[in-house]
Amino acid sequence: MGSSEIKEIPKAMKYPHRAMEKDYSAFEELFQHLIDSFDYMVEEGLKTMVDMLKPIQQFVVVIQPQKERLTRSMKEALYPYECRQAKIPYTGMFTMEVVFQYDDGVAIREKINFGQFPVMLKSKLCNLRGASSNKLVSLKEEPSEMGGYFILNGLERVTRLLILPKRNYPMSMVRNSFRDRRDGYTDKAVVIRCVRVDQSAVSVKLYYLNNGSARLGFWIQGREYLLPVGIILKALIDASDHEIYVSLTCSYDDNLERVKGSVGTKLVGERAKIILDEVQNLSLFTHTQCLRHIGQHFKPIMTGLEDESFTSVAEAILKEYIFVHLDNNHDKFNLLIFMLQKLFSLVDQTSMPDNPDSLQNQEVLLPGHLITIYLKEKLQDWLFKVKRLLQDEIRNGKKFDLINLADVKKVIDKSSPKQISLAIENMLKTGTLVTQTGLDLQQRAGMTVLAERLNFLRYLSHFRAVHRGTSFAGLRTTSVRKLLPESWGFLCPVHTPDGEPCGLLNHMSSSCRITSYYSPNGNIRDFQKYRTSILSELVRVGMTPSLPKLVQAGPPKVLTVMLDGRVVGTIPSDIVESAVSYLRTLKLSAKPFFPKDLEVGYVPLSMCGAYPGLYLFTSPSRFVRPVRNISVPAGKGNNIELIGPFEQVYMEISCPDGGDGGRKDMFPATHEEIHPTGILSVVANLTPWSDHNQSPRNMYQCQMGKQTMGFPSQALHYRADQKLYHLQTPQTPIVRTKAYEKYNIDDFPLGTNAIVAVLAYSGYDMEDAMVLNKSSVDRGMFHGHIYMTETIDLAERSRFSASSSRVFRRRNDNSYQNDLIDSDGLPYVGQKINPGEEFCSIYDESNNQFSGNKLKSSEAAVVDYVAVDVKGKQNLQKVNVCFRRPRNPVIGDKFSSRHGQKGVCSQLWPDIDMPYSGITGMRPDLIINPHAFPSRMTIGMLLESIAAKGGALHGNFVDATPFASSVKNASDGQGSTSSSVVDELGPLLTHYGFNHHGTEVLYSGVYGTELTCEIFIGPVYYQRLRHMVLDKFQVRSTGPVDKVTRQPIKGRKRGGGVRFGEMERDSLLAHGAAYLLHDRLHTSSDYHIADVCSMCGSVLTTSVIQSQPLALPRNDRYGLPPRRMPKKVTCVACKTSKGMETVAMPYVFRYLAAELAAMNIKITLQLSDGTGAGA
Amino acid sequence: MSNQRFPTVKIRELKNDYCKFELRDTDASIANALRRVMIAEVPTVAIDLVEIEVNSSVLNDEFIAHRLGLIPLTSERAMSMRFSRDCDACDGDGQCDYCSVEFHLRAKCIGDQTLDVTSRELISSDATVVPVDSADSGYDNLENRGIIIVKLRRGQELRLRAIARKGIGKDHAKWSPAATVTFMYEPDIYINEDMMEKLSLEKKLEIIESSPTKVFGIDENTGRFIVVDPEAYTYDDEVLKKCEALDMPGLIEIRPKEDTFIFTVESTGAIKASQLVLNAIDILKQKLDVVRLSEDTVEADDQFGELGAHMRGG
Repeated sequence: MGSSEIKEIPKAMKYPHRAMEKDYSAFEELFQHLIDSFDYMVEEGLKTMVDMLKPIQQFVVVIQPQKERLTRSMKEALYPYECRQAKIPYTGMFTMEVVFQYDDGVAIREKINFGQFPVMLKSKLCNLRGASSNKLVSLKEEPSEMGGYFILNGLERVTRLLILPKRNYPMSMVRNSFRDRRDGYTDKAVVIRCVRVDQSAVSVKLYYLNNGSARLGFWIQGREYLLPVGIILKALIDASDHEIYVSLTCSYDDNLERVKGSVGTKLVGERAKIILDEVQNLSLFTHTQCLRHIGQHFKPIMTGLEDESFTSVAEAILKEYIFVHLDNNHDKFNLLIFMLQKLFSLVDQTSMPDNPDSLQNQEVLLPGHLITIYLKEKLQDWLFKVKRLLQDEIRNGKKFDLINLADVKKVIDKSSPKQISLAIENMLKTGTLVTQTGLDLQQRAGMTVLAERLNFLRYLSHFRAVHRGTSFAGLRTTSVRKLLPESWGFLCPVHTPDGEPCGLLNHMSSSCRITSYYSPNGNIRDFQKYRTSILSELVRVGMTPSLPKLVQAGPPKVLTVMLDGRVVGTIPSDIVESAVSYLRTLKLSAKPFFPKDLEVGYVPLSMCGAYPGLYLFTSPSRFVRPVRNISVPAGKGNNIELIGPFEQVYMEISCPDGGDGGRKDMFPATHEEIHPTGILSVVANLTPWSDHNQSPRNMYQCQMGKQTMGFPSQALHYRADQKLYHLQTPQTPIVRTKAYEKYNIDDFPLGTNAIVAVLAYSGYDMEDAMVLNKSSVDRGMFHGHIYMTETIDLAERSRFSASSSRVFRRRNDNSYQNDLIDSDGLPYVGQKINPGEEFCSIYDESNNQFSGNKLKSSEAAVVDYVAVDVKGKQNLQKVNVCFRRPRNPVIGDKFSSRHGQKGVCSQLWPDIDMPYSGITGMRPDLIINPHAFPSRMTIGMLLESIAAKGGALHGNFVDATPFASSVKNASDGQGSTSSSVVDELGPLLTHYGFNHHGTEVLYSGVYGTELTCEIFIGPVYYQRLRHMVLDKFQVRSTGPVDKVTRQPIKGRKRGGGVRFGEMERDSLLAHGAAYLLHDRLHTSSDYHIADVCSMCGSVLTTSVIQSQPLALPRNDRYGLPPRRMPKKVTCVACKTSKGMETVAMPYVFRYLAAELAAMNIKITLQLSDGTGAGA
Repeated sequence: MSNQRFPTVKIRELKNDYCKFELRDTDASIANALRRVMIAEVPTVAIDLVEIEVNSSVLNDEFIAHRLGLIPLTSERAMSMRFSRDCDACDGDGQCDYCSVEFHLRAKCIGDQTLDVTSRELISSDATVVPVDSADSGYDNLENRGIIIVKLRRGQELRLRAIARKGIGKDHAKWSPAATVTFMYEPDIYINEDMMEKLSLEKKLEIIESSPTKVFGIDENTGRFIVVDPEAYTYDDEVLKKCEALDMPGLIEIRPKEDTFIFTVESTGAIKASQLVLNAIDILKQKLDVVRLSEDTVEADDQFGELGAHMRGG
């Protein structure tokens, strides 16, 4: 304690936010997975995909997305900001070289334009690629612009990262729906999602039947076909029954039954027999017989193979639909055998089913892959169409010649190639896939979302969000939403919204990455080379390769080694552990052609646990995260290993916060977390001392941080977003975590350090209300604006005519509009426009009329800027007008600290009435109620207050990284001497003459007397939330009514009322408040005086007789209007007006009578004057 | 009246923008009234109306107008000025010397360097009402003296006309002349010498250390436990708690003197701190006069009817 501990602060630490050159590399990494996937698609993926198209015509692809302006012949780069402002898509030209060849004739090559292809920002095709911060600023972007999204119609859209089943890994599943496939099916199956090199996927299911056999199910054009597995086995390779039998039963050994890790049982042999008998019963004995059998059945549905032989059809089936990730039939055979063994073990309960909801068996869908597979299908369709057209032409047309390019082109144009790019654009624009096959995806809608720039955290989260799939949202079970331990470190446990998408929409942790096709040095990976090098290493370690011999051994003696879904061999179970650790050291070494992110999924032998084996994955779109490998001595080369969720489950990773994690000495930790905060998402990482808060509060903060009014963009004037919230005077938080500086959040601050006093004062702070100091607000605290942009496109409405007849022009007459509108027909910048006023003037040349756009909202706005599209040919057609609306704090606005403590401003309290400190004279900026703490337990907020006070006094920022103390203790080597954070912060306060615990003696501002207890007061970073009364209040006295019922309409926008509903009615009834009830439901609603005929009792048959305009002398003398004659009403049914009475009733009653009359039901009213009412 | 008191003021420290004085022989109500008036009711002049001619800076018009409003202007004249709303000579459009002062600002950045537009560039139509020059408040270098309004880059321009008016802090904080006004009760510290005698030096030092501010000390000559600076005491009770922890309650007793107040007044520079106090007293007097001299109090009560009768105690 004392002065000795307070150190002098170096200048750089004092002003970290003023660093001249900012390091955005950590930030960049957060977006890398999106950009990498798109880059790969452009560089290599499209070529691979086109190569894999069914060869209708030979094909070469050239993609040249060069940005050019449509209007100018001169090529000039198009920049994203132009697209945002002009509301056009950011695209490049997509061309391909198509080769036509007819019956071995001459091949013609023709470059065809496939339209404008959307380009991801900051990808290799983007004009912003590689631009420095300064360059980005000059191009009207953020200095930290990271891209990763598309611009379509001026809107920024991100593809959603969807969870998919892990590729090329056979998963055993138990699902009741499997039983419904057909009779005799059980609920057990082994499922594998096979992915080709071009990312298109085909799932194959292997069902178990009650009779002991199995069926292989695969989908062709939206239908599932089920084949006996024996036929497939035989069709794949020419193997004898004995060979198949031996392969299947190798997992069983008499001597090893019930030994740990044994998966086979006696029943396996019997089942193998059943499988083989099934084939024989169909009188199929040989390889070719099986192929012919398959071919025969599938020929009708295989388009384009009508003229082929049965065997080639069967081969096509095997190639296109079964285990498409493998191209060798031997490999497919081995995999099928493995799957059968796994299935039998699942049935015999020697292994557990895999959990499809666990991250262990999941990967992610990346934008590049999605576009590739979608494009593939579209191209395939187009090719079929063009082929058919060409064939028709050849058949019919006499003059048609395939050599003649012009003719061919004419035919092609019938099925416009530009549609293809348009389809991609529409997919990204709407997020819906228009597809017949479904692309092996679970959902067809919601593939993309708008990247709202409400504030920076919201924006960032869109790129880090991982969605489980919309199909799960409607599910009644909650098991998919569960936070499973498998997702530790990959998905943030805190950052998920509560409510409907809870647990389905997760966010990647800050350290989580996704594997891509790029190696760290930016080269495209050659997975083939990787695999061969891994294989050779495995063989060196002691694996028996599966080729050329069939695999004929099983656990527990040996373990199957599977590399990217290919059974590559077996490894004796006694050496597998050393092999695994050897592979891990290879991962760390910079060995060429050995992937650093190789997933070494070693599932050890167990009693009825997961099916054992060594599963290796090199594939892209897996989750990975860095951990420290402690088997490598510190300081000796790289010890940061990238691990995946599949292997993590079987690894021993110690975390500083968790002690030994309960592993004792049995399983020593081999790895170590780099920092405990690595499990949190970027947003969750910004909460100071989140480890001191109750966990739901951190969740709330993650949500509220994303709806904070902050500083959304530094290029505010070059954006045309529909709505932007902007805080006028944001500050950098005094108390912040390390992540704050790492990700340069100071570029986009989202709050203010407010002096917060925790006390019950004035009564206006009850129930999460908070009192703001009026003077603080006067001085600019929480002042903000809303920017709204309106786009006026004159060409849009006159789409039918080629040239628009409408131009912007000011009226010539001296009407009042001229005050607002400049000579060009557009508003002055800085002009205040009141609701309902026209802010621009449009002249229609066709009918010589002026019109104008009116300001829609109910409050005045100031014109912030007017952006015009000057690229147009002659007249100005497209204009963006940005309106600015001041949003200074008023009663009812919402605020929140960073600890899930939100509150509504209940009063702007005069400064003089606020409590004040007798020593410093300080008055708080806002007052919150102490009751906000006990039940919520947000200790982090209290700590923040103390720390910020100390930091403000000392003049430095305070590090509030969570788990810092446990990391320190762990590095000290002793966990017991933990001192509380308050004990660290307190001495600083005492040094400056303040109370150790952050309390101060305050005096009542009203009486000048000391408050009876010491008040906890200090600066807390407060955020202003976007929910503001000005956007929400709804009042009406009278206003528009519904046409049919004449009751007030609903809807705030249309001037409707707040519904006085049934429950409200009930409460009035219960109180006996008859007058009020009558007032609400009748007088103020659809009060109506109806004419009723008392003779027939009808409300509907009355009719007003048009009285003649009377020839009475006009009372011109008095200047009064002519006297109105009394209305004459008659009953049409009774043909008399004798019994007419007027009755007050709700108009809906009359409407009801009319509706009933339409159904031939008559309503009759019996009228009495009330005298006999009691009777 | 028998219990009439005659408050005394003793000035301890007086600077242009800082003042510390004792107010004795009065109540907290009077002291607090003085504080409240100083913060919220002493009039000053501040920019209230801004007409922007050209603004191509990065800040929007409202933002600049708000910033201009918060610039303190020398307001010695404010007491004698009229409120714009009460001014008969004009309709509040700023063309009147009685209620308003006009300012002009013209700035354009021509060079490559960022140009700081400061309050010094505001040109006043009245030599007595100018932006506060913080020359005497510690900024010795000239460039730092003005309050920055906006920074301009090459080609950006700001041209505006502003009208300053008289107002009070109650309406808007920009009219508040006081940066801080606070008072504290003078503490009455009683040390039980008998008990203190029994304590060891270590324990005494512990008690001294327990207070976050330096209130107590050891007399170097006599070695006795003494009060060094009673006014440093923040009523934080730390010392009392310490005594209790040492199992010696009553060792030290501290009570605020109910009728002595030590005021600290910091001015924004709009008016001198001393003037602020005097003006506050004037206004307080005026307010009392309004009550005292009001002839129509009874009449007003009549207007309220039953409520008025109730107010009169009927």
